[in-house]
Amino acid sequence: MNTMITKAATVLCLLLLATPVFAGEVNLSVAASLKEVLNELSDSFAKTHPGVKFFKNYGASGALAKQIENGAPSDVFISANLEWMDYLKNKKLVDSSIVTFTFNTLVFAGAPGKASSMQDLLKLERIAIGSPKSVPAGEYVTEALKKAGMDKQLEKKLVMAKDVRECLMYAERGEVDGAFVYKTDALLAKQAKILFSVPQALYSKVTYPMALTVAGAKNKDAAAFFAYLQGEEAKPVLLKYGFATR
Amino acid sequence: MFSLAPTDYDAIRLSLQVSITATLLSLPFGFAVAYLITFAKFRGKMLLEVLVNLPLTLPPVVIGYFLLLLLGKHGWLGSLLNEAGIRLIFTLKAAVIASAVVGFPLLVRSLRIGMEGIDPLLINASRTLGARWHDTLLTVILPLSGPGLLAGSSLMFARSLGEFGATIIVAGNIPGVTQTIPLAIYEYSSSPANEMMALSLCLVSVAISMIVLFLHEMMSKKMARRD
Amino acid sequence: MQLSMTVKKSFGTFNLSADMKVSGDRIGIFGASGSGKSTLVNMLAGLLQPDSGEIVLGGDTLFSSTRGINLRPEQRRISMVFQQHGLFPHLSVKNNLLYGFKRCPAEHRTIDFDTLVAVLKLGTLLERSITNLSGGEKQRVALGRAIMANPRLLLMDEPLSALDDTLRFQIIPYLKSVSERFGIPYLFISHSLVEMRLMTDSALLIESGQIVEQTTSEQLARIRMGQSPVGYINLLELSDMTERDGMCAYRWKGIEVLLSAQNRETTSGLFELSSKDIILFKKHPEAISARNLLECRVSSLFESGRKLGVELECGEGSLVAEIVPEAALELGIKAGVTIHAAFKASAFRRLSKSDGDTINNG
Repeated sequence: MNTMITKAATVLCLLLLATPVFAGEVNLSVAASLKEVLNELSDSFAKTHPGVKFFKNYGASGALAKQIENGAPSDVFISANLEWMDYLKNKKLVDSSIVTFTFNTLVFAGAPGKASSMQDLLKLERIAIGSPKSVPAGEYVTEALKKAGMDKQLEKKLVMAKDVRECLMYAERGEVDGAFVYKTDALLAKQAKILFSVPQALYSKVTYPMALTVAGAKNKDAAAFFAYLQGEEAKPVLLKYGFATR
Repeated sequence: MFSLAPTDYDAIRLSLQVSITATLLSLPFGFAVAYLITFAKFRGKMLLEVLVNLPLTLPPVVIGYFLLLLLGKHGWLGSLLNEAGIRLIFTLKAAVIASAVVGFPLLVRSLRIGMEGIDPLLINASRTLGARWHDTLLTVILPLSGPGLLAGSSLMFARSLGEFGATIIVAGNIPGVTQTIPLAIYEYSSSPANEMMALSLCLVSVAISMIVLFLHEMMSKKMARRD
Repeated sequence: MQLSMTVKKSFGTFNLSADMKVSGDRIGIFGASGSGKSTLVNMLAGLLQPDSGEIVLGGDTLFSSTRGINLRPEQRRISMVFQQHGLFPHLSVKNNLLYGFKRCPAEHRTIDFDTLVAVLKLGTLLERSITNLSGGEKQRVALGRAIMANPRLLLMDEPLSALDDTLRFQIIPYLKSVSERFGIPYLFISHSLVEMRLMTDSALLIESGQIVEQTTSEQLARIRMGQSPVGYINLLELSDMTERDGMCAYRWKGIEVLLSAQNRETTSGLFELSSKDIILFKKHPEAISARNLLECRVSSLFESGRKLGVELECGEGSLVAEIVPEAALELGIKAGVTIHAAFKASAFRRLSKSDGDTINNG
């Protein structure tokens, strides 16, 4: 009786612990703002590479970095700012293949007429931003507000979102007066409109670094996809959604 | 090292504020509902009991979503409030409402147990001595519900301290305004580094909960001893 | 007090159908557990609603299914004393006493608090919490509370059943005196015939939800004698105890009776003597072991079940003895004859000691 239980337990443990790596699996950890772009690009890649299966994880770059650090499966990481890529680089979790994927700009979106410049923000009651602790979009905004000298005044008006898409959703619903999102997110919005662009002088250029993780570097399908993203076929897709390539 | 940021102190203050307010606001309603369920006979009583217990079984995010539909700017009730100039979503009031709804069944449950423990003989005696139903309610039932009230309040308070799902949807994560302890910890959890700060806040949360639960146990024992 | 109740109530298998009309100030309802006594009384108080019928008290209709009248308990001015005292644990003795008084309409607040406290001897207990009171003290407070509300009828639902024997018979004087003192009629429910006889003048017998007999309490005891395992309980007030030859000699109605030595602590009190313990002799026996032998005159005979009750006049007192009909024939017992009655010293059972107030006070 005892040996039966031990055997059953062993089998159960093995089943639970085993994470078989099937050929053709590629795990992507991608900044939330790149969702549509990566969906399209991965679909086209899959058409020409049958047998490759993508597992996509979209979210705030800081949150993604933490997940990768804690062992979440990931082959390709695309961050919305340099900070989180550097974070993983310092932890030796990404390989030396870091390149820049694309660029973006910050805008303020909301219902028409709410605001037309940074100064107008002081009149508003609720403004959504990504949480600066983990969302690059939020970090860029904080940087801009500080440079504009408005950070203290707006302190209690900021609603923290878990990623830039949630930010947009708050704006769409109308529960906030407006939200700081990327231009590319605002273009997808139905109700919210771009009210003004945040002056580039106030914040660092929005840069999307991308890299293969240490595990991804050993995955030939991941490596192939990584090359594809840097190739000529990716650029029109980026431009279509409003991303900048320079 | 144990360390708390200024926003963490805000979070603690807001958590206590929301929990205390939600509990105090719910008390009269909870008492009335517990009274009806324990002593009144009417059709549809079972429906009332089910509705009261519903938040206990629904995922808090579902409750939050329904509250959003109800109280949002375009919501059924929310649109009316909006015209009156009252906004609830993304304010501390919404956090109080979320905690109140989620904790209500716990309050009613404890109150019911307390009331059911009251000897019906006392109520009969009160009535034959000339007291009308509301007189009996105030002079006999309420004083004897004391332990039930305290047990229910402390349980509800403890639950409110941990309320996350509904709160984040209707009150949002606004540091210094609606960011309660669970919301602050959630924010920390998405961010690498900040481990010590998250842990410090977690410890504070555990400490507060333990104190409240000790109180609850003491009250419950007092109720049991009475019988 | 005039009360008429014609009510019906069904609970599953139990059906109550009572029809009664009583007048008087001290009425009893006697029955076994489950006979429906409490149901009846709860309907009278308004705590339970009859399925149909009518309840009229002193000319006022409290309930009428045909006329759609159903007064709430708080409107009926009928107070109750329960078997379990029902005192409010969160109020002091004083506030318990005043609970009903405060809710009484001004014109009915005629009971004097201090007098009531004095009569019930509650003076030292007023500020105390009810939790540490003895059973007897609690029932006195419960009685006081019910009286202070100046009800037009006091219902006592087995108020003594939860108390031990000595206590029970100590409280009876309080129950009676208070009601007489303040002029409040009462309905006394019990399954004890002795209590019934001490507390009430007339009584109703209830069995399986029906009222089967309505008569005087004394008469009821005689009716029940045949089927009672203890027979008819003779109640004797004994006094002036002296010790003699290792026994206790008492005076009763001009006669001396001997009780066993264990009673030496009691100088006077109320004692029980069962009709079953009295043996009758046609001729004075030469010698018997029983220490009590009285010469009596038979005043009447009555039937009770399969037994015969013999009413005896002894000195100034009277006793009831229980015999089988065959014995009556053999001994030629009939009204007017002289007979000898014997009973043992050990047959007596003390009900209560008297310490100043005898049972017949007030």
